[in-house]
Amino acid sequence: MILPLADVPAPEIDYRELSPIMATVGGSIVVLMVGLLRSPFARRTLVPALTAVTLLAAIGLTIWIWEPGDREPIIVRALAMDTLTLGVSILFFVSGLVTIVLSLRSDAPREAGHGEYYSLLLGTITGMVVLAGAENLITLFVGLELLSIPLYVLCATELRRRTSLESGLKYLIIGSVGSATLLYGLALIYGAAGSTQFSGIETAIGERVGLSDPLLLTGIALAATGLAFKASVAPFHQWTPDVYQGAPTPITAFMAVATKAAAFAVFLRLFDSTLGLSQLQWAPALAALATATIVIGNVGAIAQRSLKRLLAWSGVAQAGYLLAGVVVASELGLRATAFYLAVYLLMNAAAFAVVVARERVSEHGDDLASLELLGRTQPWLAWPMTIAMLSLAGFPATAGFIGKFYLIDASVAGDYTWLGIVIVVGSVVSLVYYLRVVAVMWMGRYEVELPGLPRRRVKPVAGWSPEADARAQPEVAAVAIVFAAATIAFGLAPDPLFDAARDVGTALSNLR
Amino acid sequence: MSATSYGWLVLAFPLAGLFVTSFGWRVLPGRLPGWLASAAIGLAFLASIGALVQLQDLPAEERSVVDSAWTYVGTAGVGADLAILVDPLSVFMCLVVSGVSFLIHVYSVAYMASDRGYARYFAYLNYFVFSMLLLVLAANFVLLIVGWAFVGAASYLLISFWYRRTTATYAGIKAFVMNVIGDVGLLIAAFLLLNETGSLGYAGVFEGAEDAFTRNDGTLVAACLLILVGAFAKSAQLPLHTWLPDAMEGPTPVSALIHAATMVTAGVYLIARTHPLFELAPTAADIGAIIGALTLFFAATVALAVTDLKRIIAYSTISQIGYMVLGVSVAAYGAGLFHLMTHAFFKALLFMGAGSVIGAMAGLQDIDRMGGFRRAMPFTFVTFTAGALALAAFPLTAGFFSKDEILAFTINRGGWYWALAIVGYVAAGLTAFYAFRMVFRVFYGDPVPEARELEEGHLAHGEPQNPMSGEPEDADVGFPGPEHHIAERSWPMKAAMGPLALLALVAGVVQIPGVTDVIEHFLEPTFEDSRFHDTAPTEGSELIGLVVGGLLAIAAIAVAFTVYLRRPGTADRLRERFAGVHAFLFNKWYFDELYDAVFVRPTATAGSFGRRVVETDFVQGFIVGGATGLVRAGTSFARAIQTGYLRAYALLLLLGLAGLALYFLIASS
Repeated sequence: MILPLADVPAPEIDYRELSPIMATVGGSIVVLMVGLLRSPFARRTLVPALTAVTLLAAIGLTIWIWEPGDREPIIVRALAMDTLTLGVSILFFVSGLVTIVLSLRSDAPREAGHGEYYSLLLGTITGMVVLAGAENLITLFVGLELLSIPLYVLCATELRRRTSLESGLKYLIIGSVGSATLLYGLALIYGAAGSTQFSGIETAIGERVGLSDPLLLTGIALAATGLAFKASVAPFHQWTPDVYQGAPTPITAFMAVATKAAAFAVFLRLFDSTLGLSQLQWAPALAALATATIVIGNVGAIAQRSLKRLLAWSGVAQAGYLLAGVVVASELGLRATAFYLAVYLLMNAAAFAVVVARERVSEHGDDLASLELLGRTQPWLAWPMTIAMLSLAGFPATAGFIGKFYLIDASVAGDYTWLGIVIVVGSVVSLVYYLRVVAVMWMGRYEVELPGLPRRRVKPVAGWSPEADARAQPEVAAVAIVFAAATIAFGLAPDPLFDAARDVGTALSNLR
Repeated sequence: MSATSYGWLVLAFPLAGLFVTSFGWRVLPGRLPGWLASAAIGLAFLASIGALVQLQDLPAEERSVVDSAWTYVGTAGVGADLAILVDPLSVFMCLVVSGVSFLIHVYSVAYMASDRGYARYFAYLNYFVFSMLLLVLAANFVLLIVGWAFVGAASYLLISFWYRRTTATYAGIKAFVMNVIGDVGLLIAAFLLLNETGSLGYAGVFEGAEDAFTRNDGTLVAACLLILVGAFAKSAQLPLHTWLPDAMEGPTPVSALIHAATMVTAGVYLIARTHPLFELAPTAADIGAIIGALTLFFAATVALAVTDLKRIIAYSTISQIGYMVLGVSVAAYGAGLFHLMTHAFFKALLFMGAGSVIGAMAGLQDIDRMGGFRRAMPFTFVTFTAGALALAAFPLTAGFFSKDEILAFTINRGGWYWALAIVGYVAAGLTAFYAFRMVFRVFYGDPVPEARELEEGHLAHGEPQNPMSGEPEDADVGFPGPEHHIAERSWPMKAAMGPLALLALVAGVVQIPGVTDVIEHFLEPTFEDSRFHDTAPTEGSELIGLVVGGLLAIAAIAVAFTVYLRRPGTADRLRERFAGVHAFLFNKWYFDELYDAVFVRPTATAGSFGRRVVETDFVQGFIVGGATGLVRAGTSFARAIQTGYLRAYALLLLLGLAGLALYFLIASS
C-alpha cells in the first residue's frame, strides 16, 4: 500500500550547507519552548542567551561552509548557499546579536513574552537567509513571507504603546501590498519564461522569450516594485519613517540593516544574475529609482527632529546609493554593494545603540534634543554617534568613505558616471542633517556653572530606575563603542572587508 | 635591525617628541619640553647613523631599500603606500637634517627660555623635523607631497610663531601662499607622471618614464618644470623667492633651521631625487640651471645693500641655494648635495651668531646700529667669523671645496654653461664681500652703547618692540619673551655653535678633489645611473677652479677690509655716487613692488569685485539661495506627501508601479 509512495525519490539534501538555516530554525523552536518556563531566570536570561548562542553557532557554521566561487544550489536546486548568501547571512546574524543586546532592557520582550520575541527574531532571520539564497521564484516568495510576517509582529511588540501597534499594522497592510505586487511580478516572469528556476529563466531569456517581451518586462517591473518596497527605495519608501519610528528601537535597528541587506541580496541575484541579459532594459529604470531615492531620502531627512525618523530617511538615501551597485550588474558592483552593506551594519548599529541609550533616559525620547550636550556629559556615547554620523556622510578615514568610494568606482566603471555624481551630490546634501546631529551633541547650550557652588549630583526623583540609568546599561554603550571603533578600523585598514567582498564577488559567475 | 627599521625609527622619534611636548605642555616643568624635544631629535640622529651603518653593510647595488608599512586603498590602481625609501641620498639627507636640527634644538633650549610659548615652540619644531624627515624618506610622490605640505605648514606656524606681531602673521601668510603655489605645481607634476607612467612610486615612475617618454617629450618637460615650480617655491628661487626674507620674522633659531639649513634645501633634494626625469628632459634641467645662476647672482647683489642682519643672511641663503640648484641641474649631484651639507653647517652657524648679536642688541637687527662687538662677545665673534669664512669660500674652509666643485662641474659641461660658471664666480666674489661686510660692521669699529654696556657686564634691555615696525609690545604670550640671550652667557647656545664652527672650518676635508671624495662615493649608488656619471671634471681643472675661487675670496675680503675698516666712509661715498644702483639693490630689485602691481593689486581688485558682485549677489543670492530654496521646497514636499495615511502610501506605491511598468512597456515597443 505504501510501497508506491516509496518510489518517489526524497530530495537530496546537503545538510552541511544547510546547517546555518537548521541552526536558526532549531534555535527558534528551542527558544520558544524555553520561553514557556515560568522561572524569570529562564525567560529573562536563558532565552536571550540561547538566542545569542544560536546566532553565534550560525555564524560559526557559516564560516565553516564559506567557499568562494559559483556554488551548486542545494535541495533540488532551490537554495544557493554561496558566498553572497553566506556573506549577507553573517550580516543578519550580527545584527540579530546587536538586537538581542539592545533588547535586554527593552519593554518589547517583556510585554510580548521573551520566548515569542526572540523566537520571532530567529524566524525572521531564517526567512532572510532563505530569501538571500533563493534560487527559484517559489523559494524567493517563501523566504520573503518568512521574513516579513515575524517582522510585522515584532514591530507591534510594545503592546501598550499605540505607535508601536500602529507601526505593526501599517507595516502589515502596506507590506501585503508590496508582497502581492512581487508575487504578481513573479507570476508574470514565470509566465514569460516558463520556469520558476532562476537558471531556467536565465536560459529562457533571449532564446525562447525576447529581451523586450512585454510580459517579461511587466513582470520585472512588478518584481522590482516589490523588492524596492522591502529595500525602501523611493517612491515605495513611505512606510519606512512611520514604521521605523513606531517600532521598538532594537527592532528598528534590525530592520534598518538586515531587511535592507536581504532585499539587496535578492536584487543582486534576481536582477544582476538571472535577468542580467536584459540589463539594458531594466538598468535605466533602476538608475532613475536610485536617483529619486537619493534625492527624496536626503531631502526628507533634513526636516526631521526625531532621530529614528532621521535614520529612516537616511536609510532611504543609503538604499539609493546601494542601488547604484545593482544597476551596473558587474562583479565590481556586487563587491561594492556587499562591502557597503557590511559597512552600513557597522555605522547603523553604533547610531541606533546611542538612540536606544538616550531614549530610555531622556525626557525628550528620540528627539534630537535628547542628544544635547552629550559630548560633555557622556562622551562615550557622543563619540560613537559622531563617528557613525560622519561615516554615514562618507567622511574620509571612516569605513563609510571607502564604501561610497567603492560604489562610485563601480558606477563609473559600469558606464553610470552620472549616477556616481548623484551619489556625491547626495552625500553633500546629507551633511546638513548628519552634521546637525554632531553639532547638537558637541555645540549645544553651554551650561554656566556658578563659581563656588559645587555641582549637585542628584538622581532624578521620579522616573528613575536602574534600567533607565545611562550608567546602568553598559551593554548598549559597549555596542556603540565596538561598532564605532570597527567603523574607524575598517576605514583605516579596509583590507579584511575587501577580501570578504572579493569572495562575495565570485558568487555570481555570469557577471561582467 | 635592517636599514628600513632604522628609517622608521628616524620618523618615530620626532613624532613621539611632537606628541609628548604638545600634550604635556601643562605638566612639563621649566625647560624640560625643550630637552625632551632635543632628545627626540638626537635619537633620530642616532637612528640615522644606524641606517647609515646598515646601508653600508649592503653591497653597493642593493643600497636602495623600500619598506612599505601599510597599503591604503588599492582599488583604483594608485600605489599610495605608506612606504619609505632608504638609500644613500635619503640617509645623507636624514643625517644632515637630524644632525643640524639637534644642535638648533639645543640652541633653542636657551634662546627661547623666557618665551611664554616655550612648549608650543618645541612642538612645532619637532613637527617640522618629523615632516622634513618624512619628505626625504618618502618612497613615492604621495608621501613626498604629504611631507612637502607638512613642512610648509610647519614653516607657516613657526614664521608666525609670535602671532600677535602683525608683521609676523603677514610674513607667515606670504610664505604659505608662495609655498602652496609650489605644492600645486608638484601635485600636478605627480598627476602627469601617474597618468603617463601609471605609478607613483619613485622606482615605478623612473622605470616607466624610460618607456613612456622620448627625450625632451613635451609632457615630461612640463612635469619637470612643474617639479621645478615646487622646488623653487620651497627653495626661494627666482621668481618665487620673496617670502624667504620676510620669513625672518620668525624666531632666529627657526631661521637657522628651516629657512637656512633644511627646509629651503628641499627643492635641491627634490631635483636630485628626480634626476632620472631631468636627464630625460634636458630642457627643463637647463632652465633649472639658468634660474639657479640668475638667483645666485641676484641675491648676492641684494645682500650687498640691505642692512637688516637677518635679511642679509636670508639673501645669502637664497644665493647659496642658487649654487646648489645650479649644481644638481648640471648633473653635479654629489657636489650640489655636498654644498647643501656644508651650507647647512655654516649658515645655521651664522644665524645662531646673528641671534646672539640680536640678543645683545635687545632685539634690534639693523647693522647700521651695530658695531664693535668683538671684545664684548668673543665667542660669538670667533664662531661668526668661522661661518663667514666658510660662506666666503676662504681657502680650506668647508664652503671653499663645495662651492668650487659645483662651478668646476658647470665649466666641465662646456658650451654656454661657461657663462653660468662665470656668473657663479662673480657672485662668489660678491659673497665674500658681503660676508665680511657683516663681520666688519658688526664686530669691528667703535663699540656701540650696547657693546660698551656688555663689556661692563650688563646685557642691554630695550623696550620690547617690533624691530620691523617699531610698534611697542608686551612680553606676553604671542610676543617674544622678555629676556634676551647671548651665547656668552648660555652654555647650550655655545654647545650648539661650537661644533658647527668646527664643521664649517674643516668639513671640507671629506671631499677634497682626488684625495677623499667621501660624499661622492657614498652617494654613488643613487646617481650611478646618471648619463653624466663618467664626465666628472679632471682633478687638474678642479684644482685650477679651487685656486681661482680662493684668490677671488681673498681679494673680495681684502676689498671689504679696505672699504669698511681701512678707509671708513668709503661705503657712504659709494652709496652717494651710485645712489640709483643702491636704491635698486636696497629695494631688492623691486620684486615686491612688481608683484604688488602685477599680482596683488589686480587680484585684490578682482577679489573685492568678486566679493561685492559675484559672491553677494550671484553666489549667495542665486546659487546658494536657489539651492537651499530648492532643498527646502523639496523637504516640505516630502513632508507634505508623508501624511501618515496608509491609503496615500498605497496610492503612491501604485503610481510608482504604474510609472515603472509604463516605462518598461514604452521601452519594449
